[in-house]
Amino acid sequence: MDKVWMTPPFGAGEPKEVDATPEVLGPLMVAGWSQCEPPAKNQEVTTHVDD
Amino acid sequence: MSTTRLQEVQICFGFGKQADIATANLVAAMWRLKKLNAQLATPKLNTENDVAEYGKGHEFATTTFKTSWDIAGTLEKYLSAEMAAWAMCFGLGKVVKSGSTPNFIYTCTPLIPSNGDATELPYFSFVEQIRPGAGVVLDRMEVGCGVEAWTIMVGSGPGRANSKITVEFHGSGKLTEPSAISMPAATVEKLLPSASLALAINGVDYVTNKNIVSLETSWKNNIKMDAGFFPGSGFQTPGDATTGAVRGRLEFGDRQGTLKFTARFDNNSTELTKLKAQTTGTATIVLQFDANNSLSITWQKVSFATAEVGETDQFVTVAVECTPIYDATNGIITAVAKCGVDGICQ
Repeated sequence: MDKVWMTPPFGAGEPKEVDATPEVLGPLMVAGWSQCEPPAKNQEVTTHVDD
Repeated sequence: MSTTRLQEVQICFGFGKQADIATANLVAAMWRLKKLNAQLATPKLNTENDVAEYGKGHEFATTTFKTSWDIAGTLEKYLSAEMAAWAMCFGLGKVVKSGSTPNFIYTCTPLIPSNGDATELPYFSFVEQIRPGAGVVLDRMEVGCGVEAWTIMVGSGPGRANSKITVEFHGSGKLTEPSAISMPAATVEKLLPSASLALAINGVDYVTNKNIVSLETSWKNNIKMDAGFFPGSGFQTPGDATTGAVRGRLEFGDRQGTLKFTARFDNNSTELTKLKAQTTGTATIVLQFDANNSLSITWQKVSFATAEVGETDQFVTVAVECTPIYDATNGIITAVAKCGVDGICQ
Protein backbone atom coordinates (compact mmCIF):
# COMPACT_ATOMS: atom_id res chain seq x y z
CA MET A 1 0.00 0.00 0.00
CA ASP A 2 1.37 3.37 -1.06
CA LYS A 3 1.62 5.83 1.81
CA VAL A 4 2.02 9.60 2.05
CA TRP A 5 2.78 12.03 4.84
CA MET A 6 0.16 14.60 5.74
CA THR A 7 0.42 17.65 7.96
CA PRO A 8 -2.59 19.00 9.90
CA PRO A 9 -4.27 22.34 9.17
CA PHE A 10 -2.80 25.55 10.58
CA GLY A 11 0.34 23.61 11.49
CA ALA A 12 -1.37 22.42 14.67
CA GLY A 13 -0.07 18.96 15.45
CA GLU A 14 2.32 16.38 14.14
CA PRO A 15 2.45 15.02 10.58
CA LYS A 16 1.23 11.48 10.14
CA GLU A 17 1.72 8.80 7.53
CA VAL A 18 -1.49 7.51 5.95
CA ASP A 19 -2.60 5.16 3.21
CA ALA A 20 -2.72 6.93 -0.14
CA THR A 21 -6.28 5.94 -0.95
CA PRO A 22 -9.10 8.33 -1.83
CA GLU A 23 -11.12 6.98 1.10
CA VAL A 24 -8.38 8.03 3.54
CA LEU A 25 -7.02 11.11 1.78
CA GLY A 26 -10.34 12.73 0.81
CA PRO A 27 -11.66 13.42 4.33
CA LEU A 28 -8.20 14.51 5.51
CA MET A 29 -7.79 16.94 2.60
CA VAL A 30 -11.27 18.36 3.18
CA ALA A 31 -10.40 18.81 6.86
CA GLY A 32 -7.36 20.89 5.93
CA TRP A 33 -4.59 18.33 6.00
CA SER A 34 -1.91 18.83 3.33
CA GLN A 35 0.80 16.62 1.93
CA CYS A 36 4.24 17.18 3.39
CA GLU A 37 7.71 15.74 3.26
CA PRO A 38 8.46 12.87 5.65
CA PRO A 39 9.84 14.24 8.90
CA ALA A 40 13.59 13.96 9.37
CA LYS A 41 14.46 10.85 11.33
CA ASN A 42 16.00 11.41 14.73
CA GLN A 43 19.61 10.35 14.74
CA GLU A 44 20.91 8.41 17.66
CA VAL A 45 23.97 10.21 18.96
CA THR A 46 26.66 8.09 20.57
CA THR A 47 29.56 9.79 22.21
CA HIS A 48 32.80 7.97 22.67
CA VAL A 49 35.12 9.41 25.23
CA ASP A 50 38.66 8.23 25.05
CA ASP A 51 40.72 8.60 28.14
CA MET B 1 3.76 37.69 -49.51
CA SER B 2 3.84 34.86 -47.01
CA THR B 3 0.91 33.89 -44.88
CA THR B 4 0.70 32.01 -41.63
CA ARG B 5 -1.68 29.16 -41.03
CA LEU B 6 -2.92 28.80 -37.49
CA GLN B 7 -2.06 25.09 -37.54
CA GLU B 8 1.51 26.25 -37.00
CA VAL B 9 0.76 27.46 -33.52
CA GLN B 10 2.42 25.46 -30.81
CA ILE B 11 1.58 25.70 -27.15
CA CYS B 12 3.28 24.56 -24.02
CA PHE B 13 2.44 25.27 -20.43
CA GLY B 14 3.52 24.42 -16.95
CA PHE B 15 2.61 20.98 -15.67
CA GLY B 16 4.51 21.96 -12.58
CA LYS B 17 3.20 24.90 -10.59
CA GLN B 18 4.98 28.23 -10.42
CA ALA B 19 6.75 29.17 -7.19
CA ASP B 20 4.50 32.25 -7.05
CA ILE B 21 2.31 34.27 -9.38
CA ALA B 22 5.19 36.29 -10.83
CA THR B 23 7.81 33.56 -11.24
CA ALA B 24 7.52 31.79 -14.58
CA ASN B 25 7.77 28.05 -15.02
CA LEU B 26 11.09 26.73 -16.23
CA VAL B 27 10.90 24.70 -19.44
CA ALA B 28 11.74 21.54 -17.49
CA ALA B 29 8.35 21.81 -15.81
CA MET B 30 6.43 22.53 -19.03
CA TRP B 31 4.84 20.21 -21.56
CA ARG B 32 3.73 20.64 -25.12
CA LEU B 33 0.27 19.36 -25.98
CA LYS B 34 -2.01 19.67 -28.97
CA LYS B 35 -5.41 21.33 -28.81
CA LEU B 36 -8.59 21.49 -30.86
CA ASN B 37 -9.61 25.14 -30.74
CA ALA B 38 -8.11 27.89 -32.86
CA GLN B 39 -8.55 30.59 -30.26
CA LEU B 40 -5.35 32.21 -29.00
CA ALA B 41 -4.78 33.49 -25.48
CA THR B 42 -4.32 37.02 -26.71
CA PRO B 43 -3.27 39.58 -24.09
CA LYS B 44 -5.44 42.67 -23.91
CA LEU B 45 -3.96 46.02 -22.94
CA ASN B 46 -6.44 48.34 -21.25
CA THR B 47 -5.76 52.05 -21.66
CA GLU B 48 -7.19 55.32 -20.42
CA ASN B 49 -6.71 58.95 -21.39
CA ASP B 50 -7.03 62.49 -20.09
CA VAL B 51 -10.37 63.38 -21.74
CA ALA B 52 -12.02 64.11 -18.38
CA GLU B 53 -9.22 66.29 -17.04
CA TYR B 54 -9.48 70.09 -16.88
CA GLY B 55 -6.70 72.48 -17.82
CA LYS B 56 -6.25 71.46 -21.45
CA GLY B 57 -8.54 74.09 -22.97
CA HIS B 58 -10.61 71.48 -24.84
CA GLU B 59 -12.45 68.24 -24.32
CA PHE B 60 -10.17 66.02 -26.35
CA ALA B 61 -7.53 63.56 -25.25
CA THR B 62 -3.95 64.77 -25.34
CA THR B 63 -2.29 61.68 -23.93
CA THR B 64 -3.01 58.03 -23.17
CA PHE B 65 -1.94 55.77 -20.33
CA LYS B 66 -1.44 52.03 -20.12
CA THR B 67 -3.75 50.92 -17.32
CA SER B 68 -3.62 47.16 -17.02
CA TRP B 69 -3.37 43.83 -18.81
CA ASP B 70 -5.92 41.06 -19.15
CA ILE B 71 -5.25 37.54 -20.36
CA ALA B 72 -7.79 34.79 -20.95
CA GLY B 73 -7.53 31.56 -22.86
CA THR B 74 -9.34 28.34 -23.60
CA LEU B 75 -7.99 24.88 -24.25
CA GLU B 76 -10.28 22.42 -25.94
CA LYS B 77 -8.89 18.91 -26.13
CA TYR B 78 -9.71 15.29 -26.47
CA LEU B 79 -9.70 14.02 -22.91
CA SER B 80 -6.44 12.34 -21.98
CA ALA B 81 -5.11 11.01 -18.70
CA GLU B 82 -2.42 13.68 -18.69
CA MET B 83 -4.76 16.59 -19.38
CA ALA B 84 -7.32 15.26 -16.93
CA ALA B 85 -4.69 15.10 -14.19
CA TRP B 86 -3.54 18.63 -14.98
CA ALA B 87 -7.05 20.07 -15.04
CA MET B 88 -8.03 18.41 -11.77
CA CYS B 89 -4.83 19.52 -10.00
CA PHE B 90 -4.84 23.13 -11.19
CA GLY B 91 -8.62 23.48 -11.30
CA LEU B 92 -9.45 22.14 -7.86
CA GLY B 93 -6.24 23.33 -6.24
CA LYS B 94 -5.45 20.83 -3.48
CA VAL B 95 -3.32 17.88 -4.53
CA VAL B 96 -1.75 14.85 -2.92
CA LYS B 97 0.68 12.98 -5.14
CA SER B 98 1.41 9.31 -4.63
CA GLY B 99 2.51 6.35 -6.71
CA SER B 100 5.59 5.98 -8.87
CA THR B 101 6.55 5.42 -12.49
CA PRO B 102 4.51 4.62 -14.54
CA ASN B 103 1.56 5.14 -12.25
CA PHE B 104 1.52 8.51 -10.56
CA ILE B 105 -1.69 9.19 -8.69
CA TYR B 106 -3.02 12.67 -8.09
CA THR B 107 -5.80 12.93 -5.54
CA CYS B 108 -7.45 16.32 -5.84
CA THR B 109 -10.03 18.25 -3.84
CA PRO B 110 -11.08 21.90 -3.78
CA LEU B 111 -9.26 24.24 -1.43
CA ILE B 112 -11.20 24.94 1.78
CA PRO B 113 -9.93 28.24 3.24
CA SER B 114 -11.89 27.82 6.48
CA ASN B 115 -9.74 24.76 7.13
CA GLY B 116 -6.51 26.59 6.50
CA ASP B 117 -6.18 26.21 2.73
CA ALA B 118 -5.09 28.99 0.38
CA THR B 119 -7.53 31.21 -1.48
CA GLU B 120 -5.23 31.33 -4.51
CA LEU B 121 -5.09 28.50 -7.02
CA PRO B 122 -1.78 27.08 -8.22
CA TYR B 123 -0.25 29.12 -11.05
CA PHE B 124 1.24 28.04 -14.37
CA SER B 125 2.86 29.75 -17.36
CA PHE B 126 1.36 29.46 -20.85
CA VAL B 127 3.43 29.77 -24.03
CA GLU B 128 2.20 30.31 -27.59
CA GLN B 129 4.63 30.27 -30.50
CA ILE B 130 4.41 30.54 -34.28
CA ARG B 131 7.84 30.37 -35.94
CA PRO B 132 9.86 31.59 -32.97
CA GLY B 133 13.27 33.00 -33.80
CA ALA B 134 14.29 35.10 -36.79
CA GLY B 135 10.99 34.70 -38.65
CA VAL B 136 8.83 35.03 -35.58
CA VAL B 137 5.11 35.49 -35.97
CA LEU B 138 4.17 34.95 -32.37
CA ASP B 139 6.25 34.12 -29.32
CA ARG B 140 4.95 34.96 -25.90
CA MET B 141 4.67 33.55 -22.41
CA GLU B 142 1.86 34.46 -20.09
CA VAL B 143 2.98 34.14 -16.50
CA GLY B 144 0.76 33.56 -13.51
CA CYS B 145 -2.24 31.83 -15.07
CA GLY B 146 -4.95 30.06 -13.08
CA VAL B 147 -7.65 27.64 -14.16
CA GLU B 148 -11.03 29.36 -14.23
CA ALA B 149 -13.08 26.31 -15.22
CA TRP B 150 -13.01 22.83 -16.66
CA THR B 151 -15.78 20.94 -18.40
CA ILE B 152 -15.74 17.26 -19.34
CA MET B 153 -18.18 16.04 -21.95
CA VAL B 154 -18.81 12.38 -22.73
CA GLY B 155 -21.10 11.40 -25.57
CA SER B 156 -22.25 8.35 -27.48
CA GLY B 157 -20.17 7.21 -30.42
CA PRO B 158 -16.79 5.69 -31.17
CA GLY B 159 -14.77 8.78 -32.14
CA ARG B 160 -12.37 10.76 -29.98
CA ALA B 161 -14.79 13.69 -30.07
CA ASN B 162 -17.08 11.81 -27.71
CA SER B 163 -14.75 12.43 -24.79
CA LYS B 164 -13.49 15.98 -24.52
CA ILE B 165 -12.33 18.49 -21.99
CA THR B 166 -12.45 22.27 -22.15
CA VAL B 167 -10.32 24.33 -19.79
CA GLU B 168 -10.67 28.07 -19.42
CA PHE B 169 -7.90 30.03 -17.76
CA HIS B 170 -7.12 33.59 -16.76
CA GLY B 171 -3.76 35.24 -16.48
CA SER B 172 -2.31 37.78 -14.10
CA GLY B 173 -1.50 39.95 -17.12
CA LYS B 174 2.22 39.33 -16.81
CA LEU B 175 3.70 38.79 -20.25
CA THR B 176 7.16 37.79 -21.49
CA GLU B 177 7.90 38.53 -25.16
CA PRO B 178 9.74 36.74 -26.65
CA SER B 179 9.11 33.82 -24.37
CA ALA B 180 12.73 32.57 -24.36
CA ILE B 181 11.26 29.08 -24.16
CA SER B 182 12.53 26.30 -26.43
CA MET B 183 9.40 24.34 -27.15
CA PRO B 184 9.73 20.88 -25.53
CA ALA B 185 9.00 17.68 -27.45
CA ALA B 186 5.31 16.91 -27.70
CA THR B 187 3.92 14.83 -24.87
CA VAL B 188 2.25 11.63 -26.01
CA GLU B 189 -1.16 11.55 -24.39
CA LYS B 190 -3.22 8.54 -23.40
CA LEU B 191 -6.82 9.13 -24.35
CA LEU B 192 -9.71 8.37 -22.04
CA PRO B 193 -12.40 7.34 -24.52
CA SER B 194 -16.14 7.37 -24.06
CA ALA B 195 -16.28 3.59 -24.44
CA SER B 196 -14.30 3.19 -21.20
CA LEU B 197 -16.89 4.98 -19.07
CA ALA B 198 -18.10 3.60 -15.77
CA LEU B 199 -20.89 5.66 -14.26
CA ALA B 200 -22.94 5.32 -11.10
CA ILE B 201 -25.22 8.12 -9.99
CA ASN B 202 -27.51 8.08 -6.99
CA GLY B 203 -27.49 4.30 -6.76
CA VAL B 204 -27.90 3.51 -10.46
CA ASP B 205 -25.18 1.99 -12.64
CA TYR B 206 -25.96 3.65 -15.95
CA VAL B 207 -23.37 1.71 -17.94
CA THR B 208 -24.37 -1.75 -16.73
CA ASN B 209 -27.98 -1.03 -17.58
CA LYS B 210 -26.84 0.44 -20.95
CA ASN B 211 -28.95 3.55 -20.47
CA ILE B 212 -26.44 6.40 -20.51
CA VAL B 213 -26.54 8.62 -23.58
CA SER B 214 -24.29 11.53 -22.60
CA LEU B 215 -23.00 13.42 -19.62
CA GLU B 216 -21.31 16.67 -18.80
CA THR B 217 -19.60 17.66 -15.59
CA SER B 218 -17.82 20.87 -14.78
CA TRP B 219 -16.12 22.99 -12.19
CA LYS B 220 -15.89 26.78 -12.20
CA ASN B 221 -13.73 28.84 -9.87
CA ASN B 222 -15.19 32.28 -10.66
CA ILE B 223 -11.81 33.90 -10.13
CA LYS B 224 -12.06 37.40 -8.68
CA MET B 225 -10.21 39.20 -11.45
CA ASP B 226 -10.67 42.75 -10.15
CA ALA B 227 -9.38 41.77 -6.72
CA GLY B 228 -6.09 40.89 -8.37
CA PHE B 229 -5.27 44.58 -8.55
CA PHE B 230 -4.41 45.72 -5.06
CA PRO B 231 -2.08 48.50 -3.94
CA GLY B 232 1.35 47.14 -4.74
CA SER B 233 0.18 44.40 -7.10
CA GLY B 234 2.90 45.39 -9.55
CA PHE B 235 3.49 46.38 -13.17
CA GLN B 236 4.18 44.65 -16.44
CA THR B 237 7.79 45.75 -16.08
CA PRO B 238 8.65 45.71 -12.38
CA GLY B 239 9.29 49.21 -11.11
CA ASP B 240 8.02 50.91 -14.31
CA ALA B 241 4.64 52.52 -13.61
CA THR B 242 4.13 53.37 -17.29
CA THR B 243 3.87 49.71 -18.37
CA GLY B 244 0.43 48.94 -16.95
CA ALA B 245 -0.60 47.13 -13.78
CA VAL B 246 -0.69 43.37 -13.48
CA ARG B 247 -2.50 41.28 -10.93
CA GLY B 248 -0.72 40.13 -7.80
CA ARG B 249 -3.18 37.36 -6.97
CA LEU B 250 -5.91 35.27 -8.55
CA GLU B 251 -8.35 34.21 -5.85
CA PHE B 252 -11.27 31.94 -6.48
CA GLY B 253 -14.76 33.30 -5.85
CA ASP B 254 -17.95 31.34 -5.26
CA ARG B 255 -17.18 28.01 -6.86
CA GLN B 256 -19.72 25.93 -8.71
CA GLY B 257 -19.84 22.30 -9.72
CA THR B 258 -22.27 20.82 -12.19
CA LEU B 259 -23.28 17.35 -13.32
CA LYS B 260 -25.79 16.78 -16.12
CA PHE B 261 -26.61 13.59 -17.92
CA THR B 262 -29.08 12.13 -20.37
CA ALA B 263 -30.17 8.51 -20.03
CA ARG B 264 -32.74 6.29 -21.67
CA PHE B 265 -35.96 6.22 -19.71
CA ASP B 266 -38.20 3.19 -19.25
CA ASN B 267 -40.61 1.71 -16.76
CA ASN B 268 -37.82 0.85 -14.31
CA SER B 269 -36.19 4.26 -14.40
CA THR B 270 -36.04 6.02 -11.06
CA GLU B 271 -35.05 9.56 -11.97
CA LEU B 272 -38.48 11.13 -11.53
CA THR B 273 -39.05 9.29 -8.27
CA LYS B 274 -35.69 10.46 -6.95
CA LEU B 275 -36.40 13.98 -8.07
CA LYS B 276 -39.66 14.05 -6.12
CA ALA B 277 -38.09 12.42 -3.06
CA GLN B 278 -34.90 14.53 -3.36
CA THR B 279 -32.95 11.35 -2.81
CA THR B 280 -29.24 11.91 -2.34
CA GLY B 281 -26.31 9.70 -3.24
CA THR B 282 -22.84 9.78 -4.74
CA ALA B 283 -22.06 10.19 -8.41
CA THR B 284 -18.92 8.46 -9.67
CA ILE B 285 -17.52 8.95 -13.16
CA VAL B 286 -14.58 6.81 -14.28
CA LEU B 287 -12.76 6.95 -17.61
CA GLN B 288 -9.76 4.77 -18.28
CA PHE B 289 -7.00 4.14 -20.80
CA ASP B 290 -5.39 1.38 -18.75
CA ALA B 291 -4.66 0.58 -15.12
CA ASN B 292 -2.05 3.35 -14.97
CA ASN B 293 -3.95 6.06 -16.83
CA SER B 294 -7.43 7.02 -15.71
CA LEU B 295 -9.67 9.64 -14.20
CA SER B 296 -12.17 9.07 -11.43
CA ILE B 297 -14.43 11.92 -10.34
CA THR B 298 -16.68 11.50 -7.33
CA TRP B 299 -19.36 14.02 -6.51
CA GLN B 300 -19.74 13.12 -2.87
CA LYS B 301 -23.45 13.79 -2.63
CA VAL B 302 -25.92 14.81 -5.32
CA SER B 303 -29.65 15.22 -5.62
CA PHE B 304 -31.61 15.76 -8.80
CA ALA B 305 -32.54 19.39 -9.46
CA THR B 306 -34.43 18.69 -12.67
CA ALA B 307 -35.41 15.55 -14.59
CA GLU B 308 -37.16 16.12 -17.89
CA VAL B 309 -38.42 13.30 -20.05
CA GLY B 310 -37.76 13.86 -23.73
CA GLU B 311 -36.41 12.16 -26.81
CA THR B 312 -33.01 11.27 -28.21
CA ASP B 313 -32.86 9.57 -31.62
CA GLN B 314 -36.48 8.44 -31.17
CA PHE B 315 -35.83 6.82 -27.81
CA VAL B 316 -37.48 8.16 -24.68
CA THR B 317 -34.79 9.73 -22.53
CA VAL B 318 -34.55 11.72 -19.35
CA ALA B 319 -32.27 14.74 -19.02
CA VAL B 320 -31.14 15.18 -15.44
CA GLU B 321 -29.37 18.08 -13.80
CA CYS B 322 -27.84 17.27 -10.45
CA THR B 323 -27.17 19.55 -7.53
CA PRO B 324 -23.81 18.76 -5.92
CA ILE B 325 -24.13 18.90 -2.15
CA TYR B 326 -21.30 19.43 0.32
CA ASP B 327 -20.76 16.43 2.57
CA ALA B 328 -19.38 17.31 5.99
CA THR B 329 -16.81 14.49 5.86
CA ASN B 330 -15.98 14.03 2.20
CA GLY B 331 -16.53 17.53 0.88
CA ILE B 332 -18.01 18.26 -2.53
CA ILE B 333 -15.80 16.55 -5.10
CA THR B 334 -12.78 14.25 -5.13
CA ALA B 335 -10.87 13.53 -8.32
CA VAL B 336 -8.28 10.79 -8.62
CA ALA B 337 -6.20 11.09 -11.77
CA LYS B 338 -3.58 8.55 -12.77
CA CYS B 339 -0.95 9.06 -15.45
CA GLY B 340 2.71 8.45 -16.17
CA VAL B 341 3.84 12.06 -15.76
CA ASP B 342 5.56 12.94 -12.52
CA GLY B 343 5.40 16.35 -10.87
CA ILE B 344 2.03 17.66 -12.01
CA CYS B 345 1.22 20.72 -9.89
CA GLN B 346 4.24 20.00 -7.67
